[in-house]
Amino acid sequence: MRAFAKIGAARPLIGPRPELPGLLAPIGPLALIAALFVAAGCSAPRTTTSQSSNGGAETIKIGIDLPVSGADASTGIPTRNGAVQAIEDANAKAPAGVTFAAYDLDDAVQGAHDPAQGAQNVRSFVSDAAVLGMIGPYNSSVAQAEIPITNDAGLAQVSPATTNPGLTKGDGATKMRTSHPDVNAFFRVCTTDDRQGAAGAQFARKLGLKKAFIVDDNETYGKGLADVFEAQFKADGGSVLGHEHLTKGQTDFKALLTKASALGPDLIYYGGTTATGGGLLRKQMRDANMGSLPYLGGDGISDAEFETVAGDAANGAYYSVAAPEVSKLPSAAAFVAAYKKRWGTDVGPYSANAYAAANIEIAAIEKAMAANGNKLPSRAGVLALVAKTSNFPSPIGPIGFDRNGDTTNPILSIYKVANERPVFVDQVDLKL
Amino acid sequence: MDVFFQQIVNGLSLGGIYALIALGYTMVYGIIELINFAHGDVYTMGTFFSLAILTGLGVSGEVHGIALVGVVLVTMLAAMLLCGILGVLIERLAYRRLRNAPRLAPLITAIGISFILENVMQLWRGPSPVPFPDVIPNPSYALGHVLVTAKQGAVIALAILMMVALQLFIYNTKMGKAMRATAQDRDAAQLMGVNINTTIAMTFLIGSALAGAAGFVSGVYYGTTWFFNGFEAGLKAFTAAVLGGIGNIAGAMLGGFCIGLIEAIATQYIPNGAQWTNVVVFSVLVLVLIFRPSGLLGESLPEKV
Repeated sequence: MRAFAKIGAARPLIGPRPELPGLLAPIGPLALIAALFVAAGCSAPRTTTSQSSNGGAETIKIGIDLPVSGADASTGIPTRNGAVQAIEDANAKAPAGVTFAAYDLDDAVQGAHDPAQGAQNVRSFVSDAAVLGMIGPYNSSVAQAEIPITNDAGLAQVSPATTNPGLTKGDGATKMRTSHPDVNAFFRVCTTDDRQGAAGAQFARKLGLKKAFIVDDNETYGKGLADVFEAQFKADGGSVLGHEHLTKGQTDFKALLTKASALGPDLIYYGGTTATGGGLLRKQMRDANMGSLPYLGGDGISDAEFETVAGDAANGAYYSVAAPEVSKLPSAAAFVAAYKKRWGTDVGPYSANAYAAANIEIAAIEKAMAANGNKLPSRAGVLALVAKTSNFPSPIGPIGFDRNGDTTNPILSIYKVANERPVFVDQVDLKL
Repeated sequence: MDVFFQQIVNGLSLGGIYALIALGYTMVYGIIELINFAHGDVYTMGTFFSLAILTGLGVSGEVHGIALVGVVLVTMLAAMLLCGILGVLIERLAYRRLRNAPRLAPLITAIGISFILENVMQLWRGPSPVPFPDVIPNPSYALGHVLVTAKQGAVIALAILMMVALQLFIYNTKMGKAMRATAQDRDAAQLMGVNINTTIAMTFLIGSALAGAAGFVSGVYYGTTWFFNGFEAGLKAFTAAVLGGIGNIAGAMLGGFCIGLIEAIATQYIPNGAQWTNVVVFSVLVLVLIFRPSGLLGESLPEKV
């Protein structure tokens, strides 16, 4: 839900070398994998007997790289569980001549996700010939370190949660595909930050708002968001009374708000983060007699900081988040119930995404096997099928990938602050 | 026209805070010709001190009546005192030994002190914005169609009050006379029996105390602060001091209000003006310095002949 926290916590690509505990860290997950092998073994005999003509079951591994310890564990573990559940479900369906296994590694070092550790985990996946696909990572900064490696190996990588647009689009994305610039091996089932502007505009029009005054912080994220909002809001029949950019370090927005107020807007849209002025702007709206005006932003103001800075003026503000609220999706109801039964806890914000991501890879692997005469398919074969995914049924709706590897089914959610707490209000579906 | 007057009010209240900080800049420059880059951070320190005092007093929301007067006076005076002591300490530990060194040495030291203060505040309250309790009820009054909040009125009044008090102090007390003498000619003043060290320490005490007052006011006014606040505010206040004529008390005040007004008017009347405010402010500064190199009111106060 708090998708921004992941992006905000961007860490240098080359992190500190993992010390001894870091090197030993994979041992924990290895024990878990061993346990999973045992669990998977229960269903294996059935598959073996049904496919005896094939001469025994192959084990196909799916790499899972997520932060499952430290500060990221609270969202990382439920995400991991979603992927593992997909693998268990696949085995329960007794696929022909194959057993799936999770190769599960942690990319957190000393309590926080670490790009260097993520890269090392992916190298472990790549060097294991049984790994035909991977799920992860959770953080955009980690993805940046991993994409060149999966690109080089041609290993299909589907991320459940990284929302930075630069991972799939633009020059930066091309540069990350170092070995094979023309092949993309990185996909994601979540939508990207830059779609939020459009989702915000659709939502504002749905509320019946017509006249927006737009403010952004002049940074890549904020200005991008605000520009998309402006274009979409106009396209949907709204009018934009003004679009102002804040200067870095500005704390006094009274003059700006007076200007906005004189134009008589019925909405203030803010593109940016809490730290670059989003909280203060909302707070000062009240002093400028605009406290009752709707205020809408992206996930840059979805942090708890927003409520801290704006205080009770935060109430009535809306923001978008680049992920569906799974508990409200009818298509996710069955998954949500099964997840609760399997793990004994409620789903995390990205559990369903991980489940969908793993299912996409499993389906591609099974298809590639069938095409390969039920023999172990090549990574390239799996990758080609993952890239062709379209209208794949999943808890978060039918998923397809465009040529950049982004989902063609972007669902975003809108939250409203009430009593200084965010409350889910609406789901926005941005069909391409 | 209503909008114009509303922007005047916005500009004056923003300028009031700049002016309070600029007073300290200009005093220190006037007496030892040092641009005290740490001054903006002393101001932020003032907000953090105020916050700590309010927390100590157990105040976390609006206060009314006699209690309000008590809380405001106690917090502001305590923050002023603490900032004053901080200023004296900085002068004693960092600047005094460099008083006769080449002018670049204390300047670089000032930047170093600024870094130290910023990092101390970051360690103290973290790198994120820190909320400041809404101590003062903030009713707004309509003058015609122009809306003035109680806080805006208070900021403007306080800035003018402080300037007048400072002016009276400098021209009507013995210490004020000593300050003027030291500013004019340090050696001659010393020969005449002025204790230079005490006088300069006093200047830092008063200048930093004013920054403390500004820190309290800005905390109450904006309801939030963070450790890096002083950088931007300090830069603007320094500009205000130069604009008004550095070393000149009334000039610092005038410069502060001018910059606040320029920012508000530029935001209103330039298309997409908010992003151009700094450009306009510094363009005006450049123009003023071209045609009046010593600032709007000139470097008059320390009577440099």
